[in-house]
Amino acid sequence: MNPLLFELPLALVAALSGALAVTSARRAAWIALVLMATAAALLEFRPSDSLSPALLLRLTAIFGATLYALPPGLLAWRALAHDLQPRRLLATLTEHPVVAVSAVAGLILGTIPLALPIEGSSVLLRGAGVALLLIGLPPLLTSRYVEATARAAVVTLSGALLLRASILGALDLFSSIAIAAGFVALLLIGAAVAGQLTKAEE
Amino acid sequence: MIEAQPLQTLTVIRALSPLLFALLSLIVLARADRFGESSGAHTRDGNAAVLLLLGSSVAALLAGSGYASTLNVGLITVDPSEPGRLLVTLGGAVFALIVAVGQGRRAGAMGQVALFGLALIDLALAIPIGLAPIVILLVGSASLSALAAGNREDAQRARAVFRDLRTVGVLLTVIVVAELLRSAIPLSATDPSYATTSSLTAGVALTLSLVLLGMIGAFPFHHRLVRIFESLPIVGSLMVGVWIPAALSLIIFNELSLLSSSVSEPIGGAVVAALFITGTVTLLFGGVSALLHDDVGEVLGFLAVGNAGWLALGAAAIILHPSAVGPLLVALPGALVISLFGLWRISIRRPYELTSLQERRGRARRTRALGVVLICAAVSQTAVPVREFFSGGFDIAGQSGSLLITVGALLGTGALAAAAIRLLLVGLAQESQDVHRTRKGKVLSPAAIWLMASAILISGVAAGFINIEAAASGLLRTDPVESAPQNSTP
Repeated sequence: MNPLLFELPLALVAALSGALAVTSARRAAWIALVLMATAAALLEFRPSDSLSPALLLRLTAIFGATLYALPPGLLAWRALAHDLQPRRLLATLTEHPVVAVSAVAGLILGTIPLALPIEGSSVLLRGAGVALLLIGLPPLLTSRYVEATARAAVVTLSGALLLRASILGALDLFSSIAIAAGFVALLLIGAAVAGQLTKAEE
Repeated sequence: MIEAQPLQTLTVIRALSPLLFALLSLIVLARADRFGESSGAHTRDGNAAVLLLLGSSVAALLAGSGYASTLNVGLITVDPSEPGRLLVTLGGAVFALIVAVGQGRRAGAMGQVALFGLALIDLALAIPIGLAPIVILLVGSASLSALAAGNREDAQRARAVFRDLRTVGVLLTVIVVAELLRSAIPLSATDPSYATTSSLTAGVALTLSLVLLGMIGAFPFHHRLVRIFESLPIVGSLMVGVWIPAALSLIIFNELSLLSSSVSEPIGGAVVAALFITGTVTLLFGGVSALLHDDVGEVLGFLAVGNAGWLALGAAAIILHPSAVGPLLVALPGALVISLFGLWRISIRRPYELTSLQERRGRARRTRALGVVLICAAVSQTAVPVREFFSGGFDIAGQSGSLLITVGALLGTGALAAAAIRLLLVGLAQESQDVHRTRKGKVLSPAAIWLMASAILISGVAAGFINIEAAASGLLRTDPVESAPQNSTP
């Protein structure tokens, strides 16, 4: 398979869904997060003949933690179809032009070598990695909303892992397990703290 | 093959003993309400947690860090280290005491926080290299912070966990970048048009130092530590604010030492200077703030901040002199000293439901055992820096090469010692009305004797007067016959 045909759509999906994960609210944000994490994991582990245990672990961790962290009633079909209308998603992105521009700038910046020994590196992986870092880092440092911060942390960490994978390849098994646990912890703690703060404020 | 099975099982038990005790607590504590009346379930939970902590401590001491405890499963190797086993051995005993003294409704849960924290420390220090050890500690810290906060609708606690979540989110990203830069160092010699070895080494030192400063709560990340001590229960505060950072600092010191010794020229940039300045400012800030504040939780938080200053100075010293042992000696005594203050805090929480120091005037005279605990804490707070200064730790301030840094570090140390002595003096002052109204504690009750004896032992170990480390090391030392590689040639 042509690597470009595999990597290009995934890099675009990762950057776009990463931007939506930190700018949207509720349903669209969670769906975008799952999409971003899946695209980033596929880019990072590049499944060719068979699925690697590390990829399966990453996807299981993200899907499981997201399902657990989702507020109840969020997956109602009618509401989901309403929130995921392309027109609404586009409107969300235009309301946050800085994030949209960060995504595009990240993809472009990724084409420039990092002055590291990157002979074997992939331009598209690096682009997606830089884009996710640029998208996730500002809300991770500044957001006042717990769940948005947790999602931004997942986006940023995925970006750093993509950047790493573009130069050094996928993680070893032990590190994969630790990072998968990290994704689960970020999402579950975010959901738990958000719930506690809401109750305390009520 | 059949004979190898029990041996493999024994190896698994030895390698993962702290983790097994932590997992056992999930089963034991879930079933505590089946034995006896439901009204005593919390007490039984607490007692079970204390026993498991003591069991974990003894098991870690007996299992040791020798070749027979090294577990190889496929590509995964778990090789318990001596510092890891020592932290579990001493930590298990210290936290068992704190949980036993604290009791209360959540004693069982606090015991579990301590058990899992110690298991994570042991596991992280048992993994040879790579991202995993630091990621385990970062993720473990955030998870234990949330577990310690519980599901109480307390906005202050929730915000402390939120702050921790944000810190861990940022530091996870930073550590991935650190690993990326470190892995690129050997490749940098291939083409001079790429980044140089020196610049990459400085980048790794900078990112690792950032992770260290963020986790230990050094200035300007001190707010995290103070809020943790102010809002979380004491077991959670000590585990997340002191013990896990101590383990992390051992890993990062080791990484910095390897990094620094692998390059011929000194690590460039302002990394070392920044670490020296940060360490000194943190020491001064922690000491002076602990002197000025009145809330017991905040005072304890600032004492922990002061301890973080020592670790930051240690990081700077180890970059300059990779073979220096002083910095490595700071982590464990520091954790023990702050734990002793934690023990004092939880001891005075029950008789005096007050958080103000001034309102607790004269408490040490009223309850003598608590006075002894506080004297021990003050002695070890004063003795630890002095001991580190004049033995292995002398390099920490001496190696900065700047008189200002040395004077600042000494002043900070003095302020920390003065803050500890102030706690003691307030305790011995004229009794306040609130303290006068409380029942006088018996000096010779079994609980008070146990408390005093334990406090003296902990302070002795922390200050280096009692060398538990050497005794434990003797037991933990690798058996030369067992540890010889199978295929080694004479």
